[in-house]
Formats: sequence, C-alpha cells, structure tokens
Amino acid sequence: MRRGAALAAFLPLAACGGIQSPLSPVGDQAVALHSLLMLSIMICGIVYALVIGGLGWSLRRRRAEPPPDTDARALDHSLWIAAGVILAGLIALTVGSFIADRALFAARGRDALAVRVTGHQYWWRIEYRDPASGRWIETANELHLPQGRTARVALGSADVIHSFWVPNVAGKIDMVPGRRNLVDLTPRRLGWFRGQCSEYCGAQHAHMALDVKVDPPAVFDAWLTAQAQPAAAARDAVAAHGAAVFAGACAACHAVRGSGAGGRAGPDLTHFASRHSIAAGTLSMTRGNLQGWIAQPQAIKPGTMMPAVALAPADADAVARYLVTLR
Amino acid sequence: MSRAMRRAVPLYAVAILCGCTKEARELGPATPQTPPIGNEDPRIPTYQDNFYQVSQGGRYFAWYGCSGCHAEGKDAVLNLADSEWRHGFGFANVYGAIAARHGRLAYGKRIPVEQMWQITAYARDLSSHYPEKRRRVALDQQAEPVGGTWHGPQ
Repeated sequence: MRRGAALAAFLPLAACGGIQSPLSPVGDQAVALHSLLMLSIMICGIVYALVIGGLGWSLRRRRAEPPPDTDARALDHSLWIAAGVILAGLIALTVGSFIADRALFAARGRDALAVRVTGHQYWWRIEYRDPASGRWIETANELHLPQGRTARVALGSADVIHSFWVPNVAGKIDMVPGRRNLVDLTPRRLGWFRGQCSEYCGAQHAHMALDVKVDPPAVFDAWLTAQAQPAAAARDAVAAHGAAVFAGACAACHAVRGSGAGGRAGPDLTHFASRHSIAAGTLSMTRGNLQGWIAQPQAIKPGTMMPAVALAPADADAVARYLVTLR
Repeated sequence: MSRAMRRAVPLYAVAILCGCTKEARELGPATPQTPPIGNEDPRIPTYQDNFYQVSQGGRYFAWYGCSGCHAEGKDAVLNLADSEWRHGFGFANVYGAIAARHGRLAYGKRIPVEQMWQITAYARDLSSHYPEKRRRVALDQQAEPVGGTWHGPQ
C-alpha cells in the first residue's frame, strides 16, 4: 500500500514532458520562461523550507526558557536575517523576470517569417506571407515552423477572445477582436507539438487544438512552396463527382484554390489531406473520420459552425474521396 | 436615491435573470432536419424567440451574401426591414420565399435546413428593431469572413 502511494506520487511527473508542456521547452521563448519558472520555484522553495523549518524548530523548543536579554538580541538578529533573505529573493525574482522579458522581446525578428493566425470558433486560420510574391498563403489548424528561424506571428480574432498557446515553443498570448498582438516563435528542436486555445471561447473550446510541426528550413521551404500551389485536379470519376458536389454544397464557406470554391467562413481546404487532423485536432486524418465529420459534424463537435449538410450518401462519399486527394 | 428606487433595485436585478433563457441553446445533432410545416409549426419559437439563433441567422445572412442585395433603404423586396411582406410574414412563408424564390441561387438546396431556420428567424426579426440597431448589426456583419477580399480582423 505504502509502495503504491509512493509510486502514485511520482505519476504527476509524467506530465512534465511531452508535446504540450512548458516544462519541456524547445523554443527560445519557452526556454526563457522555463528558466524564470525554475528560478521562481527555487526561491519560493527555499523560502517555504525556511518558514516550515523555523516553525518546526520553534515548536520543538517552546518549553525551553533562555535568558531574556539573549533572547531579545537573537530575535533582533533573526529579524534582520529574515528581512535580508526576503529582499534578496525579491531582487533575484525581479532581475530574473527582467532578463526573461528581454529574452522574449530580443531582436531576433530581422529576418522573421511573417505569419498571421486568426482565431475562429473553433479553429485557427493560418496565413504565411510568401517572401517571393508578398501574397498571403492560407491554411488552417496546422502551423509549420522552420527550425532555428524566428516566426513573427500576428494574432487576431474574428469573433470572441481566444488565446494562442503552444507551451513547448512560447508563452501564452490572447487573441482579442479588433486588436493585433505579436508573438515571436524561435523553435530549436524538430518534431510535432500541440497548441491549444487557452481562453474559454464557447462550447467547443476544448476541441480547438493546433498541430505545430517544426521542420528543417529546407523542408519548411518545400512545404510552403507546395502550400502556395493550387489544388490538384480530381484524378478519377468519383473524385470529379465529389468536386462537383463540393462546388454546390460546400463552396459558400470553404475555399479550394484552383477549383473556383472561394468561401472564407470556414477553413481553407486547398491542401486539406496534407494535414495531421480534422476539425482542429478533433479527429485524426482518415477517410472514415472525414466521412463521419461530413455526415454529422454536430454529433462529433456539438456547437461547431459546420452544419450538417443534407447530402445523399453517395455524394457525401464522393466529397470525402475528393477531399482526401487534396494533398 | 429615493427609498422607492432602492426597493426597486433588487427587483430589477431579479428581473434581468428572466433574460437568461433568451440565449439558451441546445447542442447536438442539428435539429430541425425539415422545413417548417405551416406557420404554426411548434418548432418555430425555439428559433424565432431565441437571440442566439437569430444572431446566427445574421451571420449566415452575411456568409451567403444576402446582404449584397438586401439592405436598409433598398426598394420593395430588397428591404427586409420595412414590415411589408409580399409573400406573407408567417415563418413558413418567409422560409419558402428564401428557399424557392431566388431563382438560380437555389438556397433551398444549397443552405442546410437548420441554417435556413436561423436565417428566416433573422429576416423576420429585422423589422422589430430601430434603424440604429439594424445599422449596428450591419456594421458587425461587415467583419464576417466573406469573399476574396476579406483578410481577417488584423
């Protein structure tokens, strides 16, 4: 029993790592915040240990009666020591906070990649500025970043207040309607990470996740070039039928560049099948999940703005087959 | 503050709570799945009397481009706020006019049923407001993500 309790006490430590944890920093900004957190824990831990130690010590010696004049002098000394320790701790925390702030706003952004992220109920619109043409390339729910290069992300919201937080890469910043907030992201380690809206924004706030992929610079450039391309034409008869159904039933809200579908209300689906997940991290990217999502989105993500579109089963299947070709 | 006013304050505070149900919303598989059956369909109050459903109708009104033709100050059927309804003011009448009287736009086929209910509720609600409020709603709708020129709120 006691062994089990000891093991259980270590279980929370499992949350200290992983793809969505500020305790496993992979970006310069997250490292600065992590250092500040460790400094705070260390100083607060020392103060806590001193207070508890002092309390225990005083409880043990409460019966002893030292000479009154010695006691007054010792108390005087103790007060000065305590005041000095508190002051030193506060100074260390203030200096640490100042250093972390300087690190967050350091001028890494001279060659920064320009990115815009807009929060919607309940998904993320992501746009990259193409350095060659200057135009914006739109995607959704999946943020790709080049390793070792700073991305300057401009954050906004199209409806209510959201909050952008990819804890492994950087700190949390709110996305406020009518206001533009900036955050720099300088990831150093390759891999997949996970972000999450961290300001309650409505019924499906919990299903507003963001996949983040850090690529080597060359891979990132290739990815961005591919994203800038229009969608591939349908390759077979079923996909062509799906494209035709999509143009009638889905194009008012979704865009597929190169197909004539130009709706802006929902996510851009030009390279939909190249993404990791469906509906902002709600489902993994499989054709089965996609068919379920098209058939009844309100059953999977109740409250989403995506309506249940009354499509004949064969049409819905054709749309799913068409969408999975959009790589 | 007079004594009578002080007594009235708690009453007002409680009265405000009556509005809490005006935005209540049910989540789950979309309902309804069929158009209204006559102007007395029992599902109508769920949409017409609910601020959330009416405001969602306003968003879709912008998303589907309705505000491109229908606006304050336009003539005849293009002005939805003038309390004159050529095809009837009943819920089913307005729903039918949206669904079937827009020619090639074929909204009855293109717009999902629940959104049609919400748009109908919004259109019928317009004439019950002052022009100032309608203007404010129209300004809000201009921020909705519509069309190729929309580049976000930033």
